Amino acid sequence: MSQVEAVRTSPLGRLWMNRNLRFACLTLPGAIFILLFLVAPLMSIVVFSFWRTESYNLIAEWNLDNYRVLLSDPTYLTFLWRSTVMAVAVSLISLVYAYPVAYLIAKHGGRYRLILVLLTAAPFLTGIILRVTAIQHILGPIGLINMALTTFGMEPVEVLMYSNVASAIGLVYLWAPFMVLAIYLSLLNFNFELLEVAKVCGARPWRAFVEVTWPLNWMGTAIGIVLVFVPTLASSVTPRFLGGVDGALYGTILAHQFGATGTWALGSAMGVILFALSLIVILGIWRAVNLRRSGFTGEEA
Amino acid sequence: MAAVNPGERLLIVGQSVMLLLLYIFLYFPIFYVVYLSFMENNVWPFPPEFTLDHYALLESMSDFHEGLINSTLIGLGTGALSALFACLAVVGLLKYRSRFRAALIVLYMSPLFVAHILIGISTLMFNRGVLDMPGNIPSTILANTTYGVAFAFLVILAQLLRYDWRLDEAAMVFGARPARTFWEVTLPNTWPALLGAFLVSFILAFNNLDISFYNLGAIPTLPTIAWGTLRHGVKPELYALASIVNALVFLILITLYFLLRTGLVKLGHRD
Repeated sequence: MSQVEAVRTSPLGRLWMNRNLRFACLTLPGAIFILLFLVAPLMSIVVFSFWRTESYNLIAEWNLDNYRVLLSDPTYLTFLWRSTVMAVAVSLISLVYAYPVAYLIAKHGGRYRLILVLLTAAPFLTGIILRVTAIQHILGPIGLINMALTTFGMEPVEVLMYSNVASAIGLVYLWAPFMVLAIYLSLLNFNFELLEVAKVCGARPWRAFVEVTWPLNWMGTAIGIVLVFVPTLASSVTPRFLGGVDGALYGTILAHQFGATGTWALGSAMGVILFALSLIVILGIWRAVNLRRSGFTGEEA
Repeated sequence: MAAVNPGERLLIVGQSVMLLLLYIFLYFPIFYVVYLSFMENNVWPFPPEFTLDHYALLESMSDFHEGLINSTLIGLGTGALSALFACLAVVGLLKYRSRFRAALIVLYMSPLFVAHILIGISTLMFNRGVLDMPGNIPSTILANTTYGVAFAFLVILAQLLRYDWRLDEAAMVFGARPARTFWEVTLPNTWPALLGAFLVSFILAFNNLDISFYNLGAIPTLPTIAWGTLRHGVKPELYALASIVNALVFLILITLYFLLRTGLVKLGHRD
């Protein structure tokens, strides 16, 4: 410190030379912002979930009714179960499809790597609603596939019109790019020469993948899985427009509490359950990430 | 590179086919909507009959201009705030060692793992119940900035990992004050990263549905207009709206890509 004070003698300059203070000035504004505008609101719905609503107004009377309704009424549990199954299915489909694609780009993309991977991510930026509109015009009753079939005198494919399959295709369409991106970023830092070593040691390609590539890239893969799982579990717009009458998912019902019915407290409780479930999945996957085997050295910066 | 054996070549061919199919899956629906926007008949537009009527309809829609202005405001506010917070954080985290570093990185990335509908409803409830503030454009900007910071953070971090901080130290050694170092050394070398972060969070907030819808209620944005139109059965002007927004997004991305590719903007020091 003494050496530094000789350089900057003004009080302000002295403050500036304090490294901890500079670190705090730079990193804290955003951190405080996230705590105030993301974490605090999420905490507030936990509080509201123990209140009740009367004719569109929240009333601060502590009770457990919302949770009792949600956990005893089979409808809500059914929707939660359906959403969970959908999220697992969509994550698995995305994973199985994205891995080979990300692998190809990372290993053989050469100087076109960046543009190849950005091309998979770019549609994400056009927003959920326009992407749902787009996929609906391929799958739906007046979608390209079924219109083509009927025009040429064939039976339309029922399963593409307003079904859970259509919702699943739509959700893969929305979120699979995240999986490609996450796995790609992980493989980018993966040393492919390790595979040559495995080969020299006599491992067949599949064994080398299972014992080298997969565990060493599990961290990036896990992030990809979570990035697909979380928004799928909460999806409300996609099932509404692709799933039809019977295709409603948990998110659709959750959205309903804040729209037509105006049952804020019940909706908050639904939100808390959704958040808790996502958190359990994230923590579960995080525990499965073996940091040592993932090649994580803590020196990524 | 080692010699490629037949098995490996087959694998590469297979993966290339999968990649090609993925591009078709991702882009065909988008181009089909653009195609529909120019078609007289939107249900079975073959053979094509061109028309610009849908774009004229969009122009005459009462809330289209208001929605466009609101979406742009939300995008600009979110983009600017996100890029600012993220830039400060990345500079701090890359330049200084601290035991809070890992925790801060997790915090900055955490919004990526919260579903948008949860951000939407929780900020709505927080504003109503705690702050007693009605939903408006500023509150929507703040709500969108949560995940905007996370995306901006990733973009800036990816770019600045390669930045050579010795450039700053060199400037300081030659007697430049911190502010002057920032304006004359740091900023000129890092602005593409900042611009990229701004544009990504701008586009995301511009197109956001869940968060903007819950915060704004009846105030229109382009995505909420599109959502309303879709709810009442598809109207042809929706194709025009979708085409315009898609074209804008891709134009911005292509510009950004070429800015980064051509020597026009170069990032700091590279080996």
